[in-house]
Amino acid sequence: MSRNVLEKVLHQLTVDRAAKQRFREDAEAYLRRFALGETERAMLMQFDVLGLQQAGVNPMLTMGFWQELSPERDMRAYMKKLRPVGAAEALHSAALKR
Amino acid sequence: MGKIVGGFLVPHDPVMFVAPDAPAPAVRDRMWNAFKTCAARLAELAPTSVVIVGADHYMLFGTGCLPSYLIGTGDVDGPLDAMPGLKRGVIPNSEALASHIAREGHANGFDWAVARALTVDHAIAIPNQLMVQPMREAGHAVGTIPVYLAAGVDPYIRMERAIQVGRHIRDAVSAGPEDERVVVIGSGGISHWVGTAEMGKVNETFDREILGYAERNDLRALAALSDEYILANGGNGGMEIRNWACAMGALEGARGETIAYEAVPEWVTGLGFVQLHLQ
Repeated sequence: MSRNVLEKVLHQLTVDRAAKQRFREDAEAYLRRFALGETERAMLMQFDVLGLQQAGVNPMLTMGFWQELSPERDMRAYMKKLRPVGAAEALHSAALKR
Repeated sequence: MGKIVGGFLVPHDPVMFVAPDAPAPAVRDRMWNAFKTCAARLAELAPTSVVIVGADHYMLFGTGCLPSYLIGTGDVDGPLDAMPGLKRGVIPNSEALASHIAREGHANGFDWAVARALTVDHAIAIPNQLMVQPMREAGHAVGTIPVYLAAGVDPYIRMERAIQVGRHIRDAVSAGPEDERVVVIGSGGISHWVGTAEMGKVNETFDREILGYAERNDLRALAALSDEYILANGGNGGMEIRNWACAMGALEGARGETIAYEAVPEWVTGLGFVQLHLQ
C-alpha cells in the first residue's frame, strides 16, 4: 500500500482538468499509468473514501475527489461512506461546491 | 528600519462564501461584522505591507514538493479556488519587502521556499479580500505578502518552528526598508474537521484554550501542544493554529484582544477574531 501514490493521483485529479477528463472517460486506463496495487486501484474506482482515509490519505483529497468525480457527489452520501448517518441528522460540510 | 505595527488572527472559512445563509442571521452578521471591524482596525494601523500566513489545502502543492514554509516574493494572484463572492484576480504585492525577507532568511538559517509568481488559495485570498482590499478601495497603496506554512498537509511544520519563522519575519522587517509598516495576519482555525467523519463538529473548549493563549501571547503553551492533541481536539483543520503561532511569534509580547468568537457548525468551524496589540 502506498498512500504517497494515492495522494499523487488524487492531487492530480484535484488540480488537472485534463486528468479529470481522462478519469471520467476511462478511469481504469487512467489509473494504469500509476504504480498502484489492485486494492488501491479498486478503492479509487469505487470511491471508497473510508478505505482511502484508512490507508492514510489526506481527507481534504478524499472530499475533493468525491465532489469532483464520484457519481453521487452529494455530501450526505460521502459522510455515509465514513460513518452511520441518521435520517434526521443535520450534516454540515466544508465542501466548496453545493 | 521597517517595523511591525500590528497583527490579527482571523479565520479563512470558505463556507461563509458558499453557504452564506446557513447560520442564524444574528450569528452570520456577527461574523461578517467581525471581519469589517478587523478591516477598519487594519486601516487605522496604516500598513504599507500585510503578511498573510496561511496553509495550503492540498491544492497549490502536491506530493512532488511540500514546502515547510514558503513566501511569495513576486507576482500574486488568486484564489485558485474561486467561489461566489471570491473572484480570481491580481493581488497587489510587496515584492521588495518579500524578497528582502527571503534573502534575510537565507542568510540567517531560514531556508524559505520561494514562489516568484504564486496563485494563492482561499487561505490568503479571504483575509486579503475582506481586510486588505477595503484599504485599496479607499485609495491606499498596500501590498500583500503570502506566506504558507505546512499546516494542512503533512509533514507539518513544528509549532516551535512556526513561531521561529514569525520571529524571523519580525527581525527581517526590522532590518528592511525604512518606510515599511507591516501587519502580520495569522489565517485559519480554530477547530474544524475537513473531509473526515467528524466534519461539522466544533470544539469550543479547544477554541477558547487557543484564544486564551492568543490573548496572553503564551507562545510556550502553544509550542507545547502536541500534534496528537491538536488533531484529537481541534481536528485536521485545527493544525492551522500554526499560522496563528507564526503571527504571534512576529508580535512576541503583544496583548491579544478577542474581537469575536463563535462556534458555527453550519460553517464547520469555530471562528475566532483576535487583534494583537503591541505593548
